Amino acid sequence: MNKLENIIYKIKDTFHLEAKQKNENQLRVDVDKNLVSSVLLYLKTQLGFMHLNHISCVDWIEDNQFELIYIVWNPESKITVLVHTRIDRANPVMENIDAIWDQANTYEREIREMFGIEFPGLVGAKEFILEDWQEMPPMRKDFDTAAYAEKTYQKRPGRENARDVREELMKRTGEELPDFAKKYSRD
Amino acid sequence: MSILNLKGILTPLTALKQMGKQPHTINFPYEEKEISKRYRGFHYNDLEACIGCANCATICMNEAIDMVALSEIEGQPGDSGLRPQIDYGRCCYCALCVDVCPSGSLNMTQDFIKVSNDPYDFLMVPGKDNPDAKEKLSFTADLDTSLNVFDRVPMRELDPEERVKSFAEVFLGYNEEEARIEASRCISCGLCTENCPVHMHIPEYINAIANADDEAAIKIIYDNNDLPEMCGKVCTRRCEDVCALQVRGEAVAIRWLKGYATSRAENAEVIKEIVNPEIREPNQYKVGIIGAGPGGLTAAYYLSLRGYNVTVYEAHKDPGGMIMYGIPKYRLPYDSIQKQVDYMKKVGVKIHFNTVVGKDISFDEIYNNSDAVFMAVGLQDAWNLGIEGDDAEGVWSAIKFLGKINAGETVDIGKKVVVVGGGDVSIDCSRVSRRLGADVFQSYRRRIQDMPADLEEIEGAEAEGVHFMPQTIPTRVIKDENGKVKGLEYVKAEMISEGGGRPRPKPIEGSETVIECDAVIAAIGQKADYSLLPEHILAKLEMQKNKIVVDENRQTSIPKLFAGGDAVTVGRNDAISAIADGFIATKAIDKMLMGK
Repeated sequence: MNKLENIIYKIKDTFHLEAKQKNENQLRVDVDKNLVSSVLLYLKTQLGFMHLNHISCVDWIEDNQFELIYIVWNPESKITVLVHTRIDRANPVMENIDAIWDQANTYEREIREMFGIEFPGLVGAKEFILEDWQEMPPMRKDFDTAAYAEKTYQKRPGRENARDVREELMKRTGEELPDFAKKYSRD
Repeated sequence: MSILNLKGILTPLTALKQMGKQPHTINFPYEEKEISKRYRGFHYNDLEACIGCANCATICMNEAIDMVALSEIEGQPGDSGLRPQIDYGRCCYCALCVDVCPSGSLNMTQDFIKVSNDPYDFLMVPGKDNPDAKEKLSFTADLDTSLNVFDRVPMRELDPEERVKSFAEVFLGYNEEEARIEASRCISCGLCTENCPVHMHIPEYINAIANADDEAAIKIIYDNNDLPEMCGKVCTRRCEDVCALQVRGEAVAIRWLKGYATSRAENAEVIKEIVNPEIREPNQYKVGIIGAGPGGLTAAYYLSLRGYNVTVYEAHKDPGGMIMYGIPKYRLPYDSIQKQVDYMKKVGVKIHFNTVVGKDISFDEIYNNSDAVFMAVGLQDAWNLGIEGDDAEGVWSAIKFLGKINAGETVDIGKKVVVVGGGDVSIDCSRVSRRLGADVFQSYRRRIQDMPADLEEIEGAEAEGVHFMPQTIPTRVIKDENGKVKGLEYVKAEMISEGGGRPRPKPIEGSETVIECDAVIAAIGQKADYSLLPEHILAKLEMQKNKIVVDENRQTSIPKLFAGGDAVTVGRNDAISAIADGFIATKAIDKMLMGK
């Protein structure tokens, strides 16, 4: 049994979870949100995954879910484990794991600001990058970046001579686009 | 402080542990640190490779990118002539613009330092304002990482063994799922519209298909093409030649998508319901149209919509001209043409069939009774091979051969046929001959890659077992004692390049070879037959190399007479050019008569 198989076996033995091999030094395990801290603590204390590499987040807007990915690393075996979990997008609350790793605080604050996921007991939750942010968290898929940019920033002088490609071509060819077709033109 | 405290003496000695290690000093002369390979600094745009599709400007979430005209870039088919200009006050260096660039001209560079007091300096045209950055490309989008989908959805077709057994349609057409996927590849830049002779609203109808709105697609398509189902099957699709995606991948299957959309309207009734065209009040003007080919039908349809009293005169018993009698049924079925013409009749187009102008009705009668005449008579006569024995029984012209087949007549071409030519018509002859059960050899003066025929058609013919004989020039048709074809003598040719033009075939002396055959089909081009025109019109009508001279409005040297289709000096000899002629003439006739 190699190192990866050993980890897969132990995770299965302890939590009844199927970890999947992603490549020669990466594992992925999908975990229920209530079990995340237990799995992480087990990985850290029992299997030597001392380092929290990153916490990442994906907005699965069609599924009405957020996905959180905890990436932990074992410096001895050079193996990475990705712990995936999905939480409800309508009520985005996730357990705070800064008791396991202090530095989780930074990632959690970032995720709170960019995706609007709350971590109860988060230290300095409101202090991060965005100042006086009034909008929806900007990394959510339904945040309209273009509309925000349009509203917030002025156009730099010198941009008036912008041209539209479709109109330019129509000028050249004499094509007359009927009104009923316009709704399918590129914005 | 006690002298016994050794800490102050020993601590400096800890520095000894650094002995033998690389010193962290700055070298002299100063060496710049290497910047990460995928660093995203300022953009660099290869202005020559850029096609001005504006996909970068469309994707930019910060609206940092504008398309601007540059004095040194001239627009041309396949290039809008505009180039991106980037506002670096807004750019967040996400490089999405690089990910979606279809031509791969836009890249990020390792350059990221720029100091200036002038805020205008940060409005840059990449490639023009930083030509040196070309050497420092960093983040680029190759075919694997690009967000464009470069592979088209393959078109399902009959097996070659099945195909030669009948005249069943070869291409099966996209189903709904395939069409939606294929349509979603389109980036809606509209470069294609310039190369289409009619300038169809291509991005709009493809976008409608992608959005599952087939009815809107049909309505948009019929806005300036009255024979779209035909075009969806056999168009020469020059639009696809300039598709933004064909620069690095496969063009969007514009032809097949049009075919898909139009196939959703199953009969003339449904077409009328969906298109529901605006028909103007009838006016007092009469327009006579000679020839019910694509040119004549188009003028008839759009003039009818504009309220004119339109009558079409057609010599044959069926409408369509060359698309009915020239294109084989495995490419364009009879019912498909009938369906489209039925729809035109529903909006008021009147067609007199079996009416030969010059025989059943005189040209003068049409001319004198109409306020304008549009003439699209096509090229009805074939060029002869012009070699000894070309009058033998069994020597066919392509137009006569295909005409008979399409009219449902039986044709005896024997067991072995030689087709002469390299255009689409010659391929049609070869593939039809295969379907009649003959062994087919196709002789062409130049190389296969020089053939003007559509590559798809050449491959189709090859799969069906047509034997190509490139670089062969027929020299003599050999007759038997009854005057029937027995064989064809040809010489081999070598390609020589002279000057700048394309290589020319030069006969190799002494290479005469004879191939035995039962029939020879000459598909080497056609010419017009103007016998329908009376002397006084012919005297006034300006001609050039057997074709009628027209201006950009398709008006001839006789003001009341407009002309289009294959027999005029503008456009190519294909159906979509004829449709364009009909459409342009409609607008010109409308302007002439209404402007009175």
